[in-house]
Amino acid sequence: MAVTLPEPVRVSPLIKTCRWTALGLGIWWGTKRYAALKAEEDEIRAYNAKMKPIWDAEKAAKAAASNREQMIYLAKESGTPIPEGF
Amino acid sequence: MAALVKKLPGLIATAKEVGTPKLMTFWKYAKVELAPPSPADIPVAIGDLSTKIANAQKQSFRKWTVNQAVVNTVVGLEVACWFFIGECIGKGSLGGYQV
Repeated sequence: MAVTLPEPVRVSPLIKTCRWTALGLGIWWGTKRYAALKAEEDEIRAYNAKMKPIWDAEKAAKAAASNREQMIYLAKESGTPIPEGF
Repeated sequence: MAALVKKLPGLIATAKEVGTPKLMTFWKYAKVELAPPSPADIPVAIGDLSTKIANAQKQSFRKWTVNQAVVNTVVGLEVACWFFIGECIGKGSLGGYQV
């Protein structure tokens, strides 16, 4: 360490106050926004979790219906007899 | 892995040796330059602030040299960056709100 470092700069009180006020405001703003966004996201997650079984059931019913249609079509085309109550 | 664990105390001692003077230098500057305002500083700061607002109102910034303008802009940007650092601390993550 051959270089001699300069003296530390005396910072003006206004700049010091502004900096640390900005830091405090930033921390407050960050926590506030985080809480708000988390609440929203939790709501969305809860809604999706609630609707998932309903949506799954709907999808399964649709898939079963379309499957049945396709099987009937295939049976007609291939001349296979369709069992009762299919 | 075992070799690394054996070397660990030696490594820590070396790190302390090398790091301590650098930390002391950093601390020497941080104590003066990064310190929060003392209670005596705050009335001075408020007085300064009203002067600056008065200057802004009578638009004396039009008489700034380019050097002054650049320096003042950079200082303003630095203060703004402290806000963003505070926001990162408050939201608990460096990039984005991890909800």
